[in-house]
Amino acid sequence: MEAPDAESLGFLEDTLRKTMLSASGAALDAALVDLGWRDMLDEIPDLAIPLVFRLLGETGAHAPVLNDVVLRAAGRDAGATVSLPYAGGSWIVWGRADTADGALDSELPIHRVDGGLEVPLAAGRQAIGWWLTGTSRAMLTLARQHALDREQFGRPVASFQAVRHKLAETLVAIEGAEATLRAAPSAEQVDFASLLAKAAAGQAALCAAKHCQQVLAGIGFTAEHAFHRHLRHVLVLEGLLGSARELTTEAGKTVRTGGSAPRLVQL
Amino acid sequence: MDVAEYRSAVRAWLDDSDLSPSTDKSFEGQEVQLKRVRQALFDSGWNRWGWPAEVGGLGGPPVLRAVLSEEIADRDLAEPGVYCMVEVLAPTMISYARPELAAEMVPLLLSGREQWCQGFSEPGSGSDLASLTTRATPRGEDWVVNGQKVWTSGAQFSQRCVLLTRTAPGHAGITAFFVDMDTPGITVRPLRTMHGVDEFCEVYFDDVVVPGDRMLGREGDGWQLAMDLLPLERSTCFWHRIAYLYERFDRLLAEAPADGDAELGAAYLALHTARCRSRDSQHRLADGATLGPDTSIDKVLLATAEQRLYDTAHDLLPGVIELDDSPWRSEFLYSRSATIYGGTAEIQRNIIARRLLDLGKE
Repeated sequence: MEAPDAESLGFLEDTLRKTMLSASGAALDAALVDLGWRDMLDEIPDLAIPLVFRLLGETGAHAPVLNDVVLRAAGRDAGATVSLPYAGGSWIVWGRADTADGALDSELPIHRVDGGLEVPLAAGRQAIGWWLTGTSRAMLTLARQHALDREQFGRPVASFQAVRHKLAETLVAIEGAEATLRAAPSAEQVDFASLLAKAAAGQAALCAAKHCQQVLAGIGFTAEHAFHRHLRHVLVLEGLLGSARELTTEAGKTVRTGGSAPRLVQL
Repeated sequence: MDVAEYRSAVRAWLDDSDLSPSTDKSFEGQEVQLKRVRQALFDSGWNRWGWPAEVGGLGGPPVLRAVLSEEIADRDLAEPGVYCMVEVLAPTMISYARPELAAEMVPLLLSGREQWCQGFSEPGSGSDLASLTTRATPRGEDWVVNGQKVWTSGAQFSQRCVLLTRTAPGHAGITAFFVDMDTPGITVRPLRTMHGVDEFCEVYFDDVVVPGDRMLGREGDGWQLAMDLLPLERSTCFWHRIAYLYERFDRLLAEAPADGDAELGAAYLALHTARCRSRDSQHRLADGATLGPDTSIDKVLLATAEQRLYDTAHDLLPGVIELDDSPWRSEFLYSRSATIYGGTAEIQRNIIARRLLDLGKE
């Protein structure tokens, strides 16, 4: 597969988005296989991973394709499941069938397991990072529209500076995290850059969740509004392959023991 | 010359040159050091790369200037704030001055023979810059300036000033001039800041006569000039400042205790995020994009990272800022201004809300 040009990439994005808006879970998993997801993952991973996972976030759909990313990085076949490390030293499996497994996000077939084998995490962290920033953008879109539509004291709440600044801070966090995800470090620094990008994306998503829910106010606390589904995705994904808190602490240890701060990106 | 080639050549040259600063850390000392560094870089040609030949440059992509600034920061050869004035003032001259004036003046700045300042803010016009009242009135071929500027960095050492004046009401009534600081009627009074450096000045203009051919652009172009200038500051200057903060972070690592990894990691992540964003902005600029309100995001990320770094130093080096006479004290105090100068953190969020999120008027 050759790297697609801008036009075919746009077409691919449209197709993926439509698919994700009409299917989720196991059905989306199957649809992605039909769309060539596994070939894309093998041949153009640097395009496919950001695109597919960002769109999962933006559309609010889900599919167990993180397994594929981690399995391929470990040199194994896609299509199966693999134990994945979770915050606090836990391990989980993200199943490929639509079964509620007791996670906070009951849509996601995720359950605890006793342990797992060490697997390469860089690609998986990139993938979840894009998912988290995509979800953050979805939450920001909801909150922004609400702020423009909702009137109190005779004017849109978007006209109040306290509301505007929360949304502005959300955008800053998202754009910052996306910049870390786009960083193209040298091969030996990919692991560390992915760790940082996952941490930045986790922080951004928690910031977006907090600010956007506050701007949405009452309606964002109901299960009738779409917001809570994004919030649940964020809370579950943030701990997967290490939480922002754990990853920043690990980064601190790495730079302290290394004695200097790696300049991971260059002009 | 490409970036990698330039970087390794500059490194080799800097390794062989002794430009390390003296122990005099006063603002005067910084000025002397800055002139020395500029002169050496100009004589050797290194700081002429990235500038057009019309103003004494050697050509090549502007990103070479950012590469040089990082090497300067890594070696702690010059204070980033004063070093970086060139990045704002020279492009302004190239865009707005008569070509002959830019050709005559810019080399004086690049070579360290002169220092220039930027007369924008006024006592009544900080965040609301467009309300400025320093007046310029025509008299024959000349203009006569009356009023007061404040926060004018380095005015006491400057030979010239890029000055914003009012020539008519409103945004379209702001006009910029390139003023000689030895013109009769200009009085400079340094302001003592809380970190003990006379970096900023008040500058008074009493019937100061400025020749008409020193107008930058045309009458009424001043607001656009000011708007064009912010993205300049936020490309190369930001890269330089971030590089400087990495260097300071390395110093913190050398002194930090083993139980501060969470704080160190958070500070490092904030720096890394600002650096990644700044790199993206430089690439967009290099690809021909015009930087605009999107650089408010760079500004918020940088100011946040800078304050987080020094807050972390404060937390992990207890007593050092408060009890010891070390550079951490002055730098910590200075970092408090990161969310104030160059457009406050609140103004940046207003711009992001209005221009990037399209939230309508307040």
